[in-house]
Amino acid sequence: MTVVDGQEVGYSSLVEEGRVHSAVFTDESIFEAELERIFYTYWVYLAHESEVPEPGDYCTKSIGRHSVVVARGTDGVVRAFFNRCRHRGTTVCRYERGNAEFFRCPYHGWTYSNRGTLIGVPFPSRYGPEFDKQNLGLVEVARLDHYRGFYFASLAGDGPSLVEHLGRTAEYIDMFLQASPMEQVELRAGAAKSNFHGNWKFVGMDGYHVNFTHKTVQDLQTRRTGNAESRKNNSDRAPNLTVDLGGGHCRLDLSLTDRVEIGKATSSLIGEIPDTEAGHRYLALMVERWGSEAEAYERIRGSRDVHVHVWPNLQLIGSEVRVIRPTSSGYTEVFGYPAMLAGVPDEINERRLRGYEWFNGVAGFGTPDDREIFERNQVGLQSDKEPWLVLSRGLTQAEVRDDGVVIGNITDEVTQRSQLRQWAKAMR
Amino acid sequence: MSAVSTPVGELRAQVTAFLVHEADLIDQHRYDDWLQLWAPDGIYWVPCNEDDYDPRRHVSIIYDDYARLQERCFRLNSEGAHSQDPPSRLCRIVGNEQVSGDDDGDVRVRANMILVEVRAGEKNVYGARLQYTLRPAGDSFRIRQKKVVLLDNDEPLGNLTFLL
Repeated sequence: MTVVDGQEVGYSSLVEEGRVHSAVFTDESIFEAELERIFYTYWVYLAHESEVPEPGDYCTKSIGRHSVVVARGTDGVVRAFFNRCRHRGTTVCRYERGNAEFFRCPYHGWTYSNRGTLIGVPFPSRYGPEFDKQNLGLVEVARLDHYRGFYFASLAGDGPSLVEHLGRTAEYIDMFLQASPMEQVELRAGAAKSNFHGNWKFVGMDGYHVNFTHKTVQDLQTRRTGNAESRKNNSDRAPNLTVDLGGGHCRLDLSLTDRVEIGKATSSLIGEIPDTEAGHRYLALMVERWGSEAEAYERIRGSRDVHVHVWPNLQLIGSEVRVIRPTSSGYTEVFGYPAMLAGVPDEINERRLRGYEWFNGVAGFGTPDDREIFERNQVGLQSDKEPWLVLSRGLTQAEVRDDGVVIGNITDEVTQRSQLRQWAKAMR
Repeated sequence: MSAVSTPVGELRAQVTAFLVHEADLIDQHRYDDWLQLWAPDGIYWVPCNEDDYDPRRHVSIIYDDYARLQERCFRLNSEGAHSQDPPSRLCRIVGNEQVSGDDDGDVRVRANMILVEVRAGEKNVYGARLQYTLRPAGDSFRIRQKKVVLLDNDEPLGNLTFLL
C-alpha cells in the first residue's frame, strides 16, 4: 500500500493503461516490496555457464540483497547458494570469480565443499550430539535452471518453470547465439560495471529516445558514413517496431532497416564483418553451419539486432548481456558482459569488444548519456506535485496479433506499458 | 645535486613539464589541443576488472586508437553530450614520476594521479597509476600510449565521460 492523493491504495493502482505514478520509481517502501514480490519470487537471471566452465569454478552474483555463489562442483554440477556461513553469517567467498575446492569461512574456520556441503567444523566436540553437519550446508536457491547456458534462479519453491517464464524470449536467446557457428557465447571478456543514481526500471526498452538522448552517436554515425540515415530508423515513419512479448518481456525490432554485408561499415559497429582474412574465414564458418551465404548473413543480422528485455533483470542487446542489479529505489548497478562468439577467429571477437566499448562502454559514447538521463529523471521525479507520467504513445494504434503479441511503431510506448503491466501484476 | 644537470635529469624535467601541460589541457577541457599531444599510432587505454587484462580478449573502460580519440573529442566538443553538459569540473595532481628510456628511443613513464571531479552536486575522487610511452618530438613528446589504471576499475563506476 502507498498513499496517493491522501488515499491508501494498492501498488497496482499506480499503473494505469496510459500513465504511471512516479512513486513507482521513488518510493523506498515500494522498492522493498519489489525485492520480495519480484526479485525473490520470479525467475531472475544469475550467470552464464561459460563463467564456470570447469569443476571448481565459481563466480559471485547477486539477487536483490542476497550475495550468491554460483559454483560448478567437483562433480560437474552447477549450483547457486547464498554466500553466508551457516554459523554466524559471514560471507564464505570474497572474490567475484575463481576456482576453489572448498569455501572456508574466515571467522571460525567452518569449511564447505564446492558442492555446498559442510565438511569441516573446528573443535566439534563442544557441540552437542544433535549437531548435524548434514543439515548445515550452504543454503541453495530454491530453484536453479538454465536455458542454453543462461542460468536463472528463483527463490520461490513453486511457480512456473523457467521455460514457461521465458515464454517468447527464448526465440531471441536462440537468435543471440546464432552469430556463433557453434551457437554458443562465452562471457569470458570481463564486465563493464556501472552505476547510476536512479531507479532500476529506467533500464528498459525505448525506441523513442535515440535521436535525442544519443544525438552525439547519431552525429558520429553521420561523421563516419556521410549521411544521416540512422536518424530515420528511429522516427514515427520508420518501419522498426516496439514489441510486447507478454510477461513483462519486450523488445525493439530494428531488423527492418538493417542489412549485413562483408566489408560494409555499420552505424553501430556491432556485427560488422571485416573484409579481412578473418572476416572471410568467419563468413565461411557461418556458411558451413547455416547452409548458404544468405542464411549466414541473416543469422549475423538477426543476432546483432536482438534487443530484448527478459523481465525483470536481463537484457540481450547486440553483443551485450546486460544485467540490472537493483540496490534501492534511487540507486542501480548495471553489469554489461560482452558476449564473445565461440568458434570464430579472434579478430571477430576483438572487433566485438571495440564495438561494445564504442557505445556501451563505461566511458562509451552511448550508454553514459542514458545514465545521465536516468539520474535527471530521478531528480525530476522528486517534484511530484503532478505525479502522473505519460505512457500513452501509440496506445490506440497498437496492433494486437493473434498470438497476443502487441506491436507498435519504434517510437511507441508499447515496451514501457508491457513492463509496467507486468510490474502491477507482480505487485498486486 | 649534480644529477639535476645530467641528461637524465633534463629528461625527467621535460617529462614532468609535459605531464603538467597535459593535465592542464584536460582539466580545462581543451580537447583539440590535447589531441595534438598524441602520435597517430597512439593508444589511450583504461582497463577494467584487472589491471593487465589483455585488451584483445577483454573489455576495457576505454581502448581508443587515434581515430576513436578523435571521435571522443568530436563528441565532447559537440552539442548533446548530455553526460558532459555541464562539463565535469576537474583538478588533478600528477606526480611520483619514474622515467626510463627504451631501446627504440621512446620514453617510458610511470606516475600516480589523484583526480577530483565535481559535477551535478557530487564530488568524486579517483586515484590511478599512469603509464605512458612517449616519443620524443622536438623539445617535447608525442603520446604513443597512455594507460590509466584506476584503483576502482573493478567496481561499478559512474560518469567517466570526461578525460582521465
